[in-house]
Amino acid sequence: MLSRVVLSAAAAAAAPSLKNAAALGPGVLQATRVFHTGQPRLAPVPPLPEYGGKVRLGLIPEEFFQFLYPKTGVTGPYVLGTGLSLYFLSKEIYVITPETFSTISVVGLMVYVIKKYGASIGEFLDKLNEEKIAQLEEVKQASIKQIQDAIDMEKAHQALVQKRHYLFDVQRNNIALALEVTYRDRLYRAYKEVKNRLDYHISVQNMLRRKEEEHMMDWVEKHVVWSISAQQEKETINKCIADLKLLAKKAQAQSVM
Amino acid sequence: MASLVPLKEKKLMQVKLGELPNWILMRDFTPSGIVGAFQRGYDRYYNKYINVRKGSISGINMVLAAYVVFSYCISYKELKHERRRKYH
Repeated sequence: MLSRVVLSAAAAAAAPSLKNAAALGPGVLQATRVFHTGQPRLAPVPPLPEYGGKVRLGLIPEEFFQFLYPKTGVTGPYVLGTGLSLYFLSKEIYVITPETFSTISVVGLMVYVIKKYGASIGEFLDKLNEEKIAQLEEVKQASIKQIQDAIDMEKAHQALVQKRHYLFDVQRNNIALALEVTYRDRLYRAYKEVKNRLDYHISVQNMLRRKEEEHMMDWVEKHVVWSISAQQEKETINKCIADLKLLAKKAQAQSVM
Repeated sequence: MASLVPLKEKKLMQVKLGELPNWILMRDFTPSGIVGAFQRGYDRYYNKYINVRKGSISGINMVLAAYVVFSYCISYKELKHERRRKYH
C-alpha cells in the first residue's frame, strides 16, 4: 500500500515534466532536481537545556561578575554594589519613605520563603513536567509503533504476493478434478443409454417369442379338442367308468382283508 | 575605515567607541525591524532563563526587579518632595 502512495507521488511529480518537454524522458527532470541539500537545522529538535543561566543573589546574572573579574577580581561587583547603594542613599537619589520599610519586610519574607521551600516546590513542578513529558513520549512511542506495525504488515503482504502461485495451483487442481468427474459422469450416462436401447430390443424379441409360443399352444389345444369327436368322448367316458368300478371293487376287497 | 571587517556585520561588543554612532544609525529602524528587535530580545531572555528544565526563581525575579526600578524612576518626580534634606 505504501508503494502505491510512492508511485502516485512519482506520477504527480512527472506531470509537469510532461507538460513542459515532451522530448525529455520521464526520469530526466527528476534526476536534475535535488532535494534536501542544506544541513538539517533543528531536526531533530535539540533538547531543552537542563539549567538556566546562572544568577547571583537572584538578581544579577553571572555574566556581569565575569565581565568585571579581569579588572577588579572577585570582590569587584560587590564593592560596586555597596558603593552605588551608599551613593544613592546619601544623595537621596533613593528616598527613604514608609514604603522602604514595607519593601524591606516583603523582600525579607520572600527571601525566607524561597530559601526554605524553593527546593521542594521545584521538585513538585519537575514531577508535573515529567508527567507531561511522559504522556507525550507515550503518544510518540504509540505512533512509532503503529507505523512500524504498518510497515511490517506491508512487508508481510508483499511476501504473500510471492506465494500467490499456491492458490492458483489449488484452483487449477480443483478445476481438473471437476472436469474429470463430469467426463466420467457423462461416460456412464452414455453407457446406460446404450444399454437401455439394447435391452429394449432384447425384450421386444422375447415378447414376440412368447406370444408365438402361446399362440401355437392355444392353436394346438384347440385343434386337439376339436378333433376329439362326440362319439369318441362317449366311449372314453364309459371306459373310465368301467375302470373306476374295477378299482372300487379292488379297494373294497383290500379293506375287508 | 579603522577595521578590516565591514561595519555592518559586527556585533555590539566588537564595535569600537568611535564607530558607535555609525553603527547605531546602520540598524534597521523600520517598524518590522523594531518589532523584530523586541522579539529577539524577548526570545533571548526566555530561552536563557525560563525555557529550561530546572528553571529557578531568578528568571521571574529579574523581570520584577527591573519593573520595580523602572517604576521608581517613573515616580521619582513625586518622590523628590519626600526627601529629608533639600541639599546634599
